[in-house]
Amino acid sequence: MTPTLQFLAIAAVGLPLAWLLTLPLAGRWQRFGLPLLPLPALLLALVSEADWQWSLPWLLMDSLWLLDDLRRTFLTLTALLWSAAGVFALGYLESRNLRRFLVFWCLTLCGNLGLVIAGDVASFYSFFALMTFASYGLVEHDGTGEALRAGRVYMAMAVVGEMLLLAGLMLAAEEADSLLLTELADAVAEAPRAELIIGLLITGFGVKAGLPLLHFWLPLAHPVAPTPASAVLSGAMIKAGLLGWLLTLPLGQASPGYWGDLMVGAGAVASLGGALAGVCQRQAKAVLAYSSISQMGLMLLLVGAALATPERALLILPVIALYALHHGLAKGALFLSTAVRPPGGNPARWAYWLLLALPGFSLAGLPWTSGALAKLAMKEALAKDQLTMATATWLSPLMTAGAVATLLLVLRFLWLQYRQAEPGANSRWRTAGWLLTVAGSALVFWWLPWQVGELVEQPYWLPKAYQYASLLTPIGLALVAGLLTALLVRRAPAVPPGDLLALWPGRPQVPGRLSTMPAWPAANTQRWAGRFSSLTTGAENRLRSGGLLALAVLALLFILINQAG
Amino acid sequence: MAVDFSLNPWLPVLALATSLAASLVIFMLPEARHGLRTALNLGAAVAKLILIVVMGWGVFHGLEYQLAFTMLPGIEFELKVDSLSMMFAGLSSVLWLLTTAYAVGYLENSPNRSRFFGFFSLCVASTTGIALAGNLFTFFLFYEMLTLSTYPLVVHRGTATALRAGRSYIIYTLSGGAVLLLGMAWLYAETGTLDFAPGGVVDGSPTPALTAIFVLLVVGLGVKAALFPLHGWLPQAMVAPAPVSALLHAVAVVKAGAFGIVRVVNDVFGTGFANEAGLLLPLAGLAAFTIIFGSVRALFQQDLKRRLAYSTISQVSYIILGICLAGPLGMVGGLVHLLHQGIMKITLFFCAGNYAETLGVHRIDELDGAGPRMPATSVAFTIGAFGMIGTPPLAGFITKWTMGLGALEAGLPWVVAVLLVSSLLNAAYFLPIVHRLWFRPRREAWPEEVRWGRLETLGWLLWPPVLTAAAVVLIGVFAAMPFSPLSWAELVVNREYRP
Repeated sequence: MTPTLQFLAIAAVGLPLAWLLTLPLAGRWQRFGLPLLPLPALLLALVSEADWQWSLPWLLMDSLWLLDDLRRTFLTLTALLWSAAGVFALGYLESRNLRRFLVFWCLTLCGNLGLVIAGDVASFYSFFALMTFASYGLVEHDGTGEALRAGRVYMAMAVVGEMLLLAGLMLAAEEADSLLLTELADAVAEAPRAELIIGLLITGFGVKAGLPLLHFWLPLAHPVAPTPASAVLSGAMIKAGLLGWLLTLPLGQASPGYWGDLMVGAGAVASLGGALAGVCQRQAKAVLAYSSISQMGLMLLLVGAALATPERALLILPVIALYALHHGLAKGALFLSTAVRPPGGNPARWAYWLLLALPGFSLAGLPWTSGALAKLAMKEALAKDQLTMATATWLSPLMTAGAVATLLLVLRFLWLQYRQAEPGANSRWRTAGWLLTVAGSALVFWWLPWQVGELVEQPYWLPKAYQYASLLTPIGLALVAGLLTALLVRRAPAVPPGDLLALWPGRPQVPGRLSTMPAWPAANTQRWAGRFSSLTTGAENRLRSGGLLALAVLALLFILINQAG
Repeated sequence: MAVDFSLNPWLPVLALATSLAASLVIFMLPEARHGLRTALNLGAAVAKLILIVVMGWGVFHGLEYQLAFTMLPGIEFELKVDSLSMMFAGLSSVLWLLTTAYAVGYLENSPNRSRFFGFFSLCVASTTGIALAGNLFTFFLFYEMLTLSTYPLVVHRGTATALRAGRSYIIYTLSGGAVLLLGMAWLYAETGTLDFAPGGVVDGSPTPALTAIFVLLVVGLGVKAALFPLHGWLPQAMVAPAPVSALLHAVAVVKAGAFGIVRVVNDVFGTGFANEAGLLLPLAGLAAFTIIFGSVRALFQQDLKRRLAYSTISQVSYIILGICLAGPLGMVGGLVHLLHQGIMKITLFFCAGNYAETLGVHRIDELDGAGPRMPATSVAFTIGAFGMIGTPPLAGFITKWTMGLGALEAGLPWVVAVLLVSSLLNAAYFLPIVHRLWFRPRREAWPEEVRWGRLETLGWLLWPPVLTAAAVVLIGVFAAMPFSPLSWAELVVNREYRP
């Protein structure tokens, strides 16, 4: 068995790289590799034994690859989503710059799969960096002005994130005197500089996971990327940051400081703030990107709770994995649907809107979907009498508010899609890829091959009678709120994608030259003065439209407080 | 001295002689004998590589190769092969082979090739001598020979700028040599020996005289190593032809300076002594400043080779910084960068030369869209650039990681901050180039495009950077394998400098 698994592991990581070698050959058949490349990884995730380990002393600085239940969940998600997006890409890609796209696709895929099975710092960080840098090529692919800006912001933040991460990993590895991720986490808890290390790791991975204030690149980059790339960016790659937290933070160990509570707070801000900024978007994909921030906020909240209450961490961990799997597939389906046109004929059209809405409602926790399972498991894991931290009492209302916000976002997305999508025929590959993700989102949970912990009893996908209320209330609230907004507000205020980043003064573009030598000092002072004035006036204009935003915040707060009382 | 007829003591001499003999023969060849000259060049390079591999295998198994004879009373000429000298000799022999091949293509149809290749071989002979030198005196001989043999290469083009750069180069390096000589003489007067020995030859307590000697030696060597503020010649010298710049930046000159500082710190003073005398921390500070300074200056260069030159100033100081951390891990990091920086930087210079020769592109803002036109070169450049930034799993990451852990081990967390800031700056000046290569569309014709048949450029020019770029990936990914730079650096430290 073990040699088979080793072979599969090598194939999982190596196949995308080997595929690169075919690119100098002529022919359009290369793109048909896209759906097939992640399959060894998927197979590996499905057939792996519990706690499979493989030591590779010749690789990097003595590597170890391994799979446990947590990693298998992430690997399943990653491979499934990449494969389905690959099918979709067959019907999406044009021949312009196709080869370049394939190169970055393969490299990013390799990184994303590899980081899941890596068990030591060097290989984990290598795959992580490969994914980070290669996905720039996916973001930037279209080459439009927006794509360039998104790419620049993405790269700047990614590089800073990598540096924070490297600092954190170095400090941790020095404390642990080992490169194994498991020993790293243990050592961090006892380290004299524990708070610094934890902070560096949280922020370093936070860039990828869309931590508030490190999230600016996300709503810029996810929408401009080609749609199949957006799907994997928002569904799978964003989870790499989450996985990084789970693997390196000292979960389950008493650690000093207030990082746990801070993370819970940041999660709340992300889940509600992301939703607010999201409903004010004009582009379907931007709404979805904000929805990702908002959803990652809920996962952030779970990680924070696990960090703050070590004794519950072991129970919370599988829930996070479950939530990641659920969100990844649903979000992937939603992103792909933005590039699928509604069919003209009537029964097909109904089916289209139904399938379009299904993953969205699943995100909001509709009973009988993966979302309901994830939400219930989450509620149980965060039951407030079990948690000891400062923010514990706020968790339950937060989750309800989060569910309301989620559905509002989904409604906004559906509305935009309804307004903007023109009926027409779809390429067969596109439809197939999209349907695959929808099916994955709806069905994977019905035969999830391994247990997710003792939290959920069999058959866990069926809510018990008393749970329907807690699932349906937020949905009802959101529907009412959505309806009211639609009736009362003619035009939602606009928040530019990247929200606060819009306050960053833009640089006037000198045609022909991108970077010029800065002149000292007079011109510089002038430039700063100019920046300052544009900052203030720009901010004014941009925030004037925020009145409705404030109203919405009030409404959500109201719900929150009601629930808490 | 008993005469030993086994071949072993003569191996270092043979290694030295291959390039020396090649140089002499080439000087005498008529200009038109291209084929013979190329064959001689490559033959000598391959022969030397084989000798170095044989000696490397021997050193790995614990053999020592040594040859010494007295030149002046009390002063010996000594060639000695230890694991550290194998590092530098190995680097120079591998890269010499590649650079020779590259130069053959680069100088096709240009005048004065006999002169060029003659001095080229002489330059490599000096580098080998520096690597194999068994005491400071021998080191000094070859060090000066290197200065003199590189000057004709720098001014090879004979233009006004080249001559000016050459003058500046010779003034800087000869002054440095004089300071080095002074330090050496004083050292001999103080200690009575110029030998290299693991752990140092200086003992007793630190005295002001010893401090002054250390400063003199480091200043003398720091000129070639381009330590701030002695770096002025390096950016000017980039007017030299691309293969010369490649060799200058990767192996020959700057590395000779850095290698010399390694020898002085480790084998003359000894890390322990130097550290106790408080000599290393100021040097580490200077190296750290040079790292940041070089990167910041690089950021403002628009000429591709100039940017690379400032990047060299920054990167070579990594080696010195690593040595100054005075711990085993830091030393491994510094030593491994001796090789890593060489391979990465030579890749970048090869590529810069390819852009200049094939497309006529010298400035960074002319590079838009060069990726699709020259994919293999641009992939190599991209790999080299990411290696420099220190992205895992490439070679530069191995350096950064080892050195960072070494700094933490030595209780100097600020060094980690320097490494990170330097990486950020590296990203800031390399990523825009990579972006231009791959993501900017080409709107106008290339300045001077030359077509070389089926490949994107001449094969002689194409394969060297492709091979070195592959090496940058492989020595990073397989860093834990025996005979990788990392393993060899660990061997050096374990065998000779483990306290």
